[in-house]
Amino acid sequence: MDETVAEYIRRTVLKIPRDEIKTMLQEWGFLSEAQLQTINFHQIKENISQDVVQLCEDNSANIKQAAVLDVIYNHIYPNKRVWSVYQMNKTGEETVIFDLTDFKKKFKRGLRSALKNVTINFRVYEDNAIWIRIAWGTPYTRPNQYKTSYVVYHSQTPYIFISASVLKSNLPLLCQALVAASNYHDIREMELRSHSLNSLKDIVFKRYSQNFQTYYPKPLPERNVAPESDLRIIDENKSEKERIERVNREIFGDGPQPKLEFAQYKLETMFKSDPKMDVLDKKEPFRCLVKFSSPHLLESLKSLAPAGMADAPLSPLLTCIPQKARNYFKIREKKSLLPGSFVSP
Amino acid sequence: GVLAHLEMLEARAHEAAVKQEETEQQEEKLARLRARVQELRRRRDELRAKVDLQEKGQPGKEGVGSDPAQPSARAVVEWKIKSVKAMLQIFYLTGISGKLTKQGVCFCISTAYEGTYLDSYYLDLLIQPEVRIHRHSVPVFIPLEQIAKKYLQTDIRRFLSVLSDHLNAYAGRRYQADQLQERFSDQIEGTLQRNSLCNLLVFNYDVSSTSKSFPFSARLLYGDLCCSLPTEVVVSCARDAPASLAETAAAHSDLFRRTALHKAFGS
Repeated sequence: MDETVAEYIRRTVLKIPRDEIKTMLQEWGFLSEAQLQTINFHQIKENISQDVVQLCEDNSANIKQAAVLDVIYNHIYPNKRVWSVYQMNKTGEETVIFDLTDFKKKFKRGLRSALKNVTINFRVYEDNAIWIRIAWGTPYTRPNQYKTSYVVYHSQTPYIFISASVLKSNLPLLCQALVAASNYHDIREMELRSHSLNSLKDIVFKRYSQNFQTYYPKPLPERNVAPESDLRIIDENKSEKERIERVNREIFGDGPQPKLEFAQYKLETMFKSDPKMDVLDKKEPFRCLVKFSSPHLLESLKSLAPAGMADAPLSPLLTCIPQKARNYFKIREKKSLLPGSFVSP
Repeated sequence: GVLAHLEMLEARAHEAAVKQEETEQQEEKLARLRARVQELRRRRDELRAKVDLQEKGQPGKEGVGSDPAQPSARAVVEWKIKSVKAMLQIFYLTGISGKLTKQGVCFCISTAYEGTYLDSYYLDLLIQPEVRIHRHSVPVFIPLEQIAKKYLQTDIRRFLSVLSDHLNAYAGRRYQADQLQERFSDQIEGTLQRNSLCNLLVFNYDVSSTSKSFPFSARLLYGDLCCSLPTEVVVSCARDAPASLAETAAAHSDLFRRTALHKAFGS
């Protein structure tokens, strides 16, 4: 077995938290149950990884098989990477019958025609997610297994989730191969990025909770029952509180919000000041960047109004994030015909 | 001269017709109201009879305060609310229901397959300046934009009907595939290979649940997105398999084309 493969397996195993190593190796399926029994999973990780490498040596693992373990690790811990969303377009209207084998073949051909030194792995999961791992090389060097890009694609959807590695130069080639393999015409990057892959999926697949008005009474969550409060306490602001709750629920819905870490607004608007102060001599747009960051941005926005820190309803620039499926905005000066700031598409 | 005279006669005839229509409408209205009064009177008598019966069943109970024969306003309102709710429930169960919103309408399309209710999908439509979709919860692999482009502006009923067909068929196909995976997992090799729309299923299977090999290889293609039965079925077995297996394969191929997948396996 190649030295590089051994080293790669060792490093991949070291990344996995100790309690998870056994389950991941089982899912990998490269080592037999009998072989796994021989490893002591309570020793320090260094030793566990050495044992695993030894067993893989016995089974003569190649780099492609080793890469599968990496895919499994990234599937279970996708939040360690930053994911961007891309949208594909096609002009035809024919129903596409998506054939997985066809897709794989076309994708590999697309990539390999331009660059021979790539390692490509596919893995399909039950929710119809196709995970593709690509390790990039150059025309003269072997693929670097530590510089990988991951692509997640759900068949028959126009969205692709890419976690590119440092090598941004390979992105055009990757996009082209994807477009060709999935029978679309072109692809563009959406202004939507996050660590949480599932939240990105929720936003573009519209799986997050939106509040739709219906007559059919949905079962209300338990927390709607007012908690027993001391009758001696009188809430002076009760109606206002209820209004805020209601408006908030209308905007954000009842369920959990998708998890985003930041929203960025690039302002190219004119600075509006007291004309007497005349802060800026030149009437130029005042360029500034406003960035909201939070471990869970949308939940914190949802709790701003009830906490009394902002007026309800919140600015539509903040609340439109899931619906517009973007968290990077460019705000320009309003043109005379359009009311409000012009948010670039 | 003559023409002016004719015009005058025409105008008069028109007026007379309008007046006649008005009186007809008035009479219709009157008749309707009379019928309603009859209905209400009948209902009041019914309720009176009911109350009398109740009172007779409990002799000695004094009727206190308001006249029990007259149903209280509150009871009437409650009854009205209940019947309206029931009506809305019925609409919801038919599969397509809607509610007027400030800017338009919000439709709810519920899907079902052979008696089992499945997911509901929502569409928030704006009416001004033209009908368009504001928000929705339709899965992204359903060709919503295509259907909207074709029908939304011109025939909204058709739009809803076509969309409902797509969603119901998708829900049906997914239900069949899920049922197959759940109930007959020991007859199938590994997991069913499918795609997001569940319109291409590929799997290897066997007839009995205890065998270790899966000689039959099935590929079901659902070409019609509004249909929950496949348009093309290919069941094959290994080239060196006995002729009897080949015959069974052909029979299965026909069966899958006609019957729901999980039911075909059940038989």
